[in-house]
Amino acid sequence: MLEVEQLRKSYGELIAVESVSFAAQPGEIFGLLGPNGAGKTTTIGCICGLLTPSAGRVKVMGHDVVRDGQAARANLGVVPQEIALYEDLSANENLAYWGGAQRMRNPKLRERIQEVLELTGLQDRAREPVKQFSGGMKRRLNFACSILHSPKVLLLDEPTVGVDPQSRVRLLDLVRAEARAGTCVLYTTHYMEEAEAMCNRLAIMDHGKVIAAGTLTELRSMLAERDLLRLTGVFAPQAARAAMQRIDSVEILQGDESLLLLSLAGASQKLPAIFAALAATGAEVRGTTLTQPSLESLFIKLTGKELRE
Amino acid sequence: MRFLWAAARKDLSRVRRDPLSLATSLGIPLVLVILITLVFGGGQAAPQGRLLVADEDGTVLSQLLTGAFTRDPLSKMFLMETAPREEGRRRMDRGDASALLIIPKGFQDAVLQNHPAQLQLVTNPSQSILPNIAEQTISVMVEGGFYLQRLAAIPLRSVVTGRQPSDAAIAQASIAFSQIGRSVAKYLDPPLIKLDLNVIAEKPENQNVAAVFLPAMLFMGLLFVANSYALDIWKEQSWGTLRRLATTPASLGAVLGGRLISLTLILSGVALVGVGGMRWLANVAVASVSLTVIWLILSGMAFYLVLVAITVHASGQRSANVIGNLIVFPLALLGGSFFPFEMMPDWMAKIGRFTPNGWAITIFKALIGGSAHTRDLLIGAGWMAVAGSLLFLIAVRRMRRFL
Repeated sequence: MLEVEQLRKSYGELIAVESVSFAAQPGEIFGLLGPNGAGKTTTIGCICGLLTPSAGRVKVMGHDVVRDGQAARANLGVVPQEIALYEDLSANENLAYWGGAQRMRNPKLRERIQEVLELTGLQDRAREPVKQFSGGMKRRLNFACSILHSPKVLLLDEPTVGVDPQSRVRLLDLVRAEARAGTCVLYTTHYMEEAEAMCNRLAIMDHGKVIAAGTLTELRSMLAERDLLRLTGVFAPQAARAAMQRIDSVEILQGDESLLLLSLAGASQKLPAIFAALAATGAEVRGTTLTQPSLESLFIKLTGKELRE
Repeated sequence: MRFLWAAARKDLSRVRRDPLSLATSLGIPLVLVILITLVFGGGQAAPQGRLLVADEDGTVLSQLLTGAFTRDPLSKMFLMETAPREEGRRRMDRGDASALLIIPKGFQDAVLQNHPAQLQLVTNPSQSILPNIAEQTISVMVEGGFYLQRLAAIPLRSVVTGRQPSDAAIAQASIAFSQIGRSVAKYLDPPLIKLDLNVIAEKPENQNVAAVFLPAMLFMGLLFVANSYALDIWKEQSWGTLRRLATTPASLGAVLGGRLISLTLILSGVALVGVGGMRWLANVAVASVSLTVIWLILSGMAFYLVLVAITVHASGQRSANVIGNLIVFPLALLGGSFFPFEMMPDWMAKIGRFTPNGWAITIFKALIGGSAHTRDLLIGAGWMAVAGSLLFLIAVRRMRRFL
């Protein structure tokens, strides 16, 4: 299992991660969700030993990553955000090298290479140089290199960035299969739908802190079944805010000259009143999006901004 | 330890899959040595120019005059051919020779009788150096002839009249030459100098252009290979593979160790081919093939460690390339790995021998010549081991920072 307690990482005055705590169990997919710069990659860096925490403690299968780094890393598999492979080598050669780095020996290494090649559907291309692979195939090999030694804890740092939909589905299936096999998976992403589809539990991060954590159901309940209404157009921010405050149970999450984000219950009944109030302020509404309660609306409610900003 | 071999195997596989950078590193010095050897005549100082001689006099004196061109060092510069005056003229018009020397009939008699005599030298205007050498040589000969005539015209006349001289005439001439010799002895005899001869290394008899340039080019190749291999660490950095490796139980030291192993194997091939080529293709006498091969391998590894320890401190891949080249090219030029020390001014050669490659190439040449032995190699290897270990630690420490 993976335990993170009061993790802090700072670079001089800049605090990248502050008081981050969570624990992930075997067979669980634990999601770290947050926009770019939220501190997800820093957290992963501290867990896998690339960064030394300024304070707090990280344990992988009971091994402290700072004091007992080698043992901790032997239980870890890390799928980096970028494709970290030797492109002039074949899939076989890459796997043999990364297996060697995990202290695997033949004949077990050879057997395991065959297994992961079959698992990722690369067995027919095993001898080709990686530079001849498609982007999706490289991603799968990138993943295969990390699970070769059957790690107890698997860290995935935004593994689907820039991946085509078909490869993405296949990659996510592979992650689920690892979790089913009992691996503890820590999955970072800034894709809401991916987090909703993959994770048993989640921690939402922003500005280096965990701002909410729990199961998907627990997090959704924090929204109290409120919808998210996103209006685009031309607004007078002060007048629009004043107008919205006069309508019952409408909460303004964000508002400027071109965007108005509202959290409200029973949105369909309130829409005419909202449009009428805005029209009275001279606003021009050009686009309307109504979203059911979701992680995205929770994120906006918690941070006052959209996840992809 | 096992990972060392995995890392070395990975590096060798990468070289096998993409041999171009290694081929380039070795190809440049190879092309240079071939060009230089061709330019300088493949080691044989073959005549570069042709001197036509129209000897219409055909006497002892005319043969003495042209004899200078048949002996070293002029014989290596000129191929002398006799030709009648008209044919010589025609050939000169065609640009077929560097110069035409016409010795008119009666030349010897005129010289001995102290009468005016005229030699004609026709030079090729399209050439500058060789005609000038021919002209200077003939001027010196004519001047020498003038003094000889002044000193020994009478006895010479009695010897070279063409008639059989009597015993009395020969005896008289001998006495005259002896007296002349004694009278000019104080001008001609060299001052008394005590000379201590200390032979450090016998110059091989078959020393040729390739022998002079091949060691330099071999070391240039080593520098280029070491530089290319050192800069490769930055490729790994940009691919994220080093960062990924840091998340495994393997150490960065093992990565660098694996690189050293693979480099040793590559350098072994380079050294064997290089020394073998020197020995059997260029006919350079190599006192100990095994010692020279070992020294080349050690030198290449040391260059790699120097370069990797410096270039990992660069701010990025591009600046590492610039720094690598800024180190390698001046080192090659100054350290006897482009121009051999033998061709440099003394002051430059002295400085050059203090560079890492200059030091290594000096010992390498001593190993070739047989004036350095196993003990010298072991002392050198010891120094390299100490410096190399330090550089290794510096490089690994810095690599951790650029993850």
